[in-house]
Amino acid sequence: MDKSTFRIIDTDIHNTYADVTEVTKFLPKHWLGRIQLPGNTFSPSPASGGSRKDAVTPSGGAPGSDPAYLMEHHMDAWGIEYGVLTGSGCLAVSIHCDPDYGNDVAAAYNEFTVEKWLSFSPRFLGSIVINHSDPLAAAKEIDKHGSNPRFVQVVMASASRTLFGQRQFYPIYEAAERHGLPVAIHPGTEGRGTASYPTPSGPITRYMEWHNILPINYMSHVNSLVCEGVFERFPKLKFVCIEGGIAWLPHLMWRMDKNYKALRASTPWLKKLPSEYILDHIKLTTQPIEEPENPRHLSQIFEMIHAEKTVMFSSDYPHWDFDNPHKALPPLEPEMKQRVYYDTAAELYRLETNPAC
Amino acid sequence: MTKNTQSYPVCRAVELPPGARKIVDIDGKSIGVFNVHGTYYALRNICPHQFAPLCEGTITGTTLPSKPGEYLYAREGEIIRCPWHGWEFDITTGKSIFNPHKVKARSYEVSVEKLSDEDPSIETFEVSVEDDVVMLHL
Repeated sequence: MDKSTFRIIDTDIHNTYADVTEVTKFLPKHWLGRIQLPGNTFSPSPASGGSRKDAVTPSGGAPGSDPAYLMEHHMDAWGIEYGVLTGSGCLAVSIHCDPDYGNDVAAAYNEFTVEKWLSFSPRFLGSIVINHSDPLAAAKEIDKHGSNPRFVQVVMASASRTLFGQRQFYPIYEAAERHGLPVAIHPGTEGRGTASYPTPSGPITRYMEWHNILPINYMSHVNSLVCEGVFERFPKLKFVCIEGGIAWLPHLMWRMDKNYKALRASTPWLKKLPSEYILDHIKLTTQPIEEPENPRHLSQIFEMIHAEKTVMFSSDYPHWDFDNPHKALPPLEPEMKQRVYYDTAAELYRLETNPAC
Repeated sequence: MTKNTQSYPVCRAVELPPGARKIVDIDGKSIGVFNVHGTYYALRNICPHQFAPLCEGTITGTTLPSKPGEYLYAREGEIIRCPWHGWEFDITTGKSIFNPHKVKARSYEVSVEKLSDEDPSIETFEVSVEDDVVMLHL
């Protein structure tokens, strides 16, 4: 080809960096440690970039990626008997634009959990990851692993386009109830992918603002599950609210009960006070535990929500906002302590009758 | 330095250049020794919040108080952020940034001294007469 015959200007060539620091060295310093360049338009991330700095594995691997090290660095170090695994980075399957891809990644993740983690130690208990945006496929995924006693619950993203009390989710609850598995939700995907904005009034600006307000999504789902009658339709279903906070629950229970007295005619399928459904069907995990100036105030909240049957300890290892099992919770009476740290989880996940435990 | 302190050698001064840190164990107590712009400081390696290994955190700067929408980044190298929850502490005082009056990490005095090779306290490494040694005073 004769290059001299015509002259060319190409008006779109994509140049890039070999290492992100080639760009970030020009950024104002206050962004350091919070840099996600450049395609990720979500709020820049937190304190330590997502995970505990001291949880990198001995071989330099990602925190939480080495079963032996996790056992040593976390489970054995704190005297933790069983750990319920909730995965990492996998919950976004539910907010992916392509449901077929979401379904297959969820399935692949569950195979990975079996192969790498559940085979490592009976002290690891698995969660079946599902894509809640395709409830029929999610139910099939639950059926695939539901008879494996090493899986003790179903887990899905708390972010959604629709509230979880809606009928489209029934196949998930039906399958979970069929296998005696609780359904857990976990935050982190709010405002991302196909999910709605993280607040009813739109997006947030910073990670801190986002993290502060995640509980409104949890309040919305719990409200929806109760009012829509999900627990009347699926009386054996248990629903676990992971990492969504605790101190908001008294307000929600009281407000729902007050409204029920005046407005129950619109939800005649509710046979008892909304708070009673919550106490019977909803569990909350502790981390990140609220830290009021006076820790006794949190102990009082524990009383208000009957924490002996609703609250279960969680650490969130190895994420940056990890709670130390020996230090994070407020002072609790011995019986309450035993319930929160062990008994409620042992009952919910039926460890006593589990042949694998 | 108070009268009842004991002194412990940490390392040769050349081994702890500006920006560096060294975490040492002294009688079961983990302590981080820092060189911040040529001055030495030491903090207990325990965050007062949830007992994380504070001194393993990121050494950084911080944003000074400012107007909404304004960022004033400063104090590079003088701040450590806890490796768990990211709480910021002033390495030079041990005080937290968010509540310096109430929340602080235990701090210790550090000095640099010339030691003779006959000094009986030097058990862990050899020191020549010319070497400056970083000493921690507990």
